Amino acid sequence: MERGSSYPNAADTSAAAVPEETTLSIVQQRFKADETVHLIFEAYQIKGREHFEGLLTLVSSSSGGTYAIISFSLLRTPLTGSNDLKINKVFPINTSFKLTTDNKGSKTEQQFELCTDDDRPSQYCYHPIRTELGSDEFNEFCAEIDSCKRTMWDGGSPSEAVLNFRWLDDYREIGEVKQELKKRESEYIVYKDIVIYCATWNVNNRPCWDNKNTLRPWLACGEKAPDIYAIGLQELETTAKAMLNGNQMQMYATQWVRKILENLHNGVEYEELQSVRLYGIMLIIIVRKQLRQHIVRCRVNSVARGVFKTLGNKGGVAVSFQLNEANICFVNSHLAAHMGNVAERNDDYKAIDMSMRFEENGLQLRTINDHDHIFWLGDLNYRIQEPIGQQRPGPMSDAQTFELMLQFDQLRMEMSYDRCFKGYTEGEIKFAPTYKYDVGTDTYDTGEKQRAPAYCDRVLWKGKRIEQLEYNGVMEIRESDHKPVYAIFRVKIKTRDDYKYKMVLSEVLKAVDKRENDSQPQIITDRPIIEFGLVRFNEPVIRDFNVYNDCSQQVDFKFKVKDLPNDICEKWLHVDPRSDSLMIDSARSIRVRMLADANSVTGLLKKICSTSDRCDFDILILHVRSGRDIFITVTGEYQPSCFGLSMETMCRTERPIGEYTLTEIKELMLDVTPMYRVPMPREYFLLIDYLHKQSGQLKGIFQSYDRCQPLSSQFNAVRDWLDTWSDDKFPGTPQTAAEALLLLLDLPEQALLEPFVDDLLATRSKADAERYIDLLSEPKRNVFKHLCLFLCEGIERGDYDANNIATIFGRVLLRSSKCNVTIDYHSRCSEFMQRFIRIENPDTVVGGNGLSSASLQT
Amino acid sequence: MARHFDHMFKLLIIGDSGVGKSSLLIRFSDDTFSGSYITTIGVDFKIRTVEINGLRVKLQIWDTAGQERFRTITSTYYRGTHGVIIVYDVTNGDSFANVRRWLEEIQNNCDVVNKVLVGNKNDDPDRKVVITEDAQRFARQMDIELFETSAKDNLNVEDMFLSITRQVLDHKLRTASDEQQKDRIIIKQNKNKGKSNKCCS
Repeated sequence: MERGSSYPNAADTSAAAVPEETTLSIVQQRFKADETVHLIFEAYQIKGREHFEGLLTLVSSSSGGTYAIISFSLLRTPLTGSNDLKINKVFPINTSFKLTTDNKGSKTEQQFELCTDDDRPSQYCYHPIRTELGSDEFNEFCAEIDSCKRTMWDGGSPSEAVLNFRWLDDYREIGEVKQELKKRESEYIVYKDIVIYCATWNVNNRPCWDNKNTLRPWLACGEKAPDIYAIGLQELETTAKAMLNGNQMQMYATQWVRKILENLHNGVEYEELQSVRLYGIMLIIIVRKQLRQHIVRCRVNSVARGVFKTLGNKGGVAVSFQLNEANICFVNSHLAAHMGNVAERNDDYKAIDMSMRFEENGLQLRTINDHDHIFWLGDLNYRIQEPIGQQRPGPMSDAQTFELMLQFDQLRMEMSYDRCFKGYTEGEIKFAPTYKYDVGTDTYDTGEKQRAPAYCDRVLWKGKRIEQLEYNGVMEIRESDHKPVYAIFRVKIKTRDDYKYKMVLSEVLKAVDKRENDSQPQIITDRPIIEFGLVRFNEPVIRDFNVYNDCSQQVDFKFKVKDLPNDICEKWLHVDPRSDSLMIDSARSIRVRMLADANSVTGLLKKICSTSDRCDFDILILHVRSGRDIFITVTGEYQPSCFGLSMETMCRTERPIGEYTLTEIKELMLDVTPMYRVPMPREYFLLIDYLHKQSGQLKGIFQSYDRCQPLSSQFNAVRDWLDTWSDDKFPGTPQTAAEALLLLLDLPEQALLEPFVDDLLATRSKADAERYIDLLSEPKRNVFKHLCLFLCEGIERGDYDANNIATIFGRVLLRSSKCNVTIDYHSRCSEFMQRFIRIENPDTVVGGNGLSSASLQT
Repeated sequence: MARHFDHMFKLLIIGDSGVGKSSLLIRFSDDTFSGSYITTIGVDFKIRTVEINGLRVKLQIWDTAGQERFRTITSTYYRGTHGVIIVYDVTNGDSFANVRRWLEEIQNNCDVVNKVLVGNKNDDPDRKVVITEDAQRFARQMDIELFETSAKDNLNVEDMFLSITRQVLDHKLRTASDEQQKDRIIIKQNKNKGKSNKCCS
């Protein structure tokens, strides 16, 4: 395509505005043959925090004579074909079109708004690029729009009816499917011949029952029976009395329809499709019965142009309908009378042409010109205006006479000056003037006024594929001072071949779907399974994986929040980033950190226990915006440790926990029988024994405890010492041992004194409480008693403060998982513990003769 | 996006790993088949618009991972689904035996849902182990329509998808007309009320 050949402005700017010559030709492919893309302006839109690249294109239609801006979004950059373009908005450059600049935006983003019709304005941004000439692209874009406006409006402000934006309907909200169907119309459209009979007769106030004679010479002529009759009558009754008496007029009208139906072509069944009447002006549409089912959207309207331009003695009536895929319109008008009123007749025509509207989608939108085939008939009242003193050159044949007279026919003259019926055609006239006759005769007016004969009654047409077969006046009908006129047309009607249409439609739907499927954003990952290997308590492990943008557009991704645990991942995992955008051809690394620590190990163990097979640490849902979800499996083997295990589980072990596999530990965890290998977990004994032997160095070791605090640097060594039942020297300090002891007590899902926490808190005395203590499982009971004994010793020695110990241990041992914890809960815990760590009678404790390893031998 | 459809439905394809769920979807949406097997690790979807009784129906078809380890996570995708396609492999008896489990998944995770049972890979009689009669008996017992398909040879795939779509559409239209019926009854009642008031005054 020659770019902007007839638009020198566009040629200058487009060199800078269009990055490559091909962009314009790609965009041009989205339009029809008579539509030209003049200019492309790159603009982006911001929605939320995202940028959407797009193109604004200035397009003109030669059939509509108008310009518009069509906004495309880019499905892919750089453009590879017209399928990468998606229309997102259409702005006809009409009177309400506005381009507003907003310089208040941030400095890097130049903004402007486009607005048309009643829609909300759309905001666009652009990157300011200056051309060598110093002016920037944006100014050129605005200038181009202004120049289009000037071209269209031509200084004045013509009404919208003159400029036609209907071509834009193909690009509006009706969507891609309709667009594609329209583009491929030739594949499923066939043309069917139909015969249309148009007739007009000014009946001169004669009721039809005066008319004893047949109308058949008029209505039943022509070789082929018509498919559609459009019969226009004028002056049904023009007396003031009749005009005011609606009922009487209606009766006349009904009589006429009946009379006409009786006089149509023989051998064909007809029915009245629609009639419309404006006082004495009436249009009757009659169709073949079997045609009726193919007619839809039948609409009527009228425009009054009589006295005061409102009364209906003059004016027009029209019927619009769709037959198959063709829009057809018939107009019957009675224009201003008298020889001198040419301008008034022109005005009447223009008024009818402009104001006649038919309802479409609830609005009066469709104009006469919005039809494929238009037939305009009626008493147009144009006269023969022969120059004064015009002499006939001797005797002439009829044909010669008519030809001479038609040279002075006002309608032909006015049409030649484009003053009326622009775009309409009239067939050759080979009949005598149809006005004015003495009623009952074929003699021209012999009355007082001696009106000159004229071709008042005419049939004109406009549109494609119309062929006139006959055009004639009917002399033998003499009831009026006008002779009836008829014209027969063969029209090729656009018709949809249903079978072919279905094929095309299904192809179009597939293509549109395919485009949508193909434009789905895609990312790929290098590893759908993140393998952590062996993971140990309190040792973070980090794994990275990559995601790549696998398509030609920006992709946004995020990890989806799952119902459980109401986060993107489990507590023992940390994922960074949780969401991001990937530009085209880019990748990014995602870090997953696994840490089974004091805060998460309980949950992890619980999950392991509740999964029947091998347990994955988690499955992350990597969600691509408007695309698919990818499952990222996070897995590995958790190395069991005593931390987090219940006293009961620990008492079931027969070797160090570190020697067990996860599966073996899981079995022990799920075991609920009261069968224990030792009365008390060896790990507790080892810790307490160590602390016991460190007397003198225990001052302040139980000062504070907070599960969320990071653990000391020696902790992992202590963990291994415990998990291996090591004979080595304790690898930490008394402080570390105290930390480990509290964690051992605190981490299991159940607090040490569960399930009797509530009962114990309700007791008043130590004796009361001991009844519940005795009901605890053997491991718990032993740990509790052993612990109390140990703490008592320390308090006795003055290593730690009883109140402090009561507070810290009370909270750990009586930890409640219930939400309805009372305000005095902590003080009650502390009070309870006080009872057991007071030194009064140490003899009550099992094995009260001090702490000895002998008590643990099985 | 311009709306060019009358109805939009979400369909879900479930079934054991390797029975050909993705292949069925690709066959229906793109009319292609690839012999190479790629496990679906996640949830994929494709759209396709079809015409049924002159109504344009846009289908959004979700293809889920069949692996056991994803069972819990895929169940969250059942929400808002209009129709479920349960697929087994006619050459794999276990996959047919597991259909019961999949049906339970549906029952546990969706409300009213339209279903269709699909025996895929029905293109090699020598390898077929789930015989049609058994599958048919089971389908009847469960009150589900059975289709034996081959994504590879493009057998019955289109019919199967259209059938479930029709089922969903019928269900929707029926429900809609029930709703309308209800409205009408309410209006009627109101009218009667107005009348009786008049009589009293």
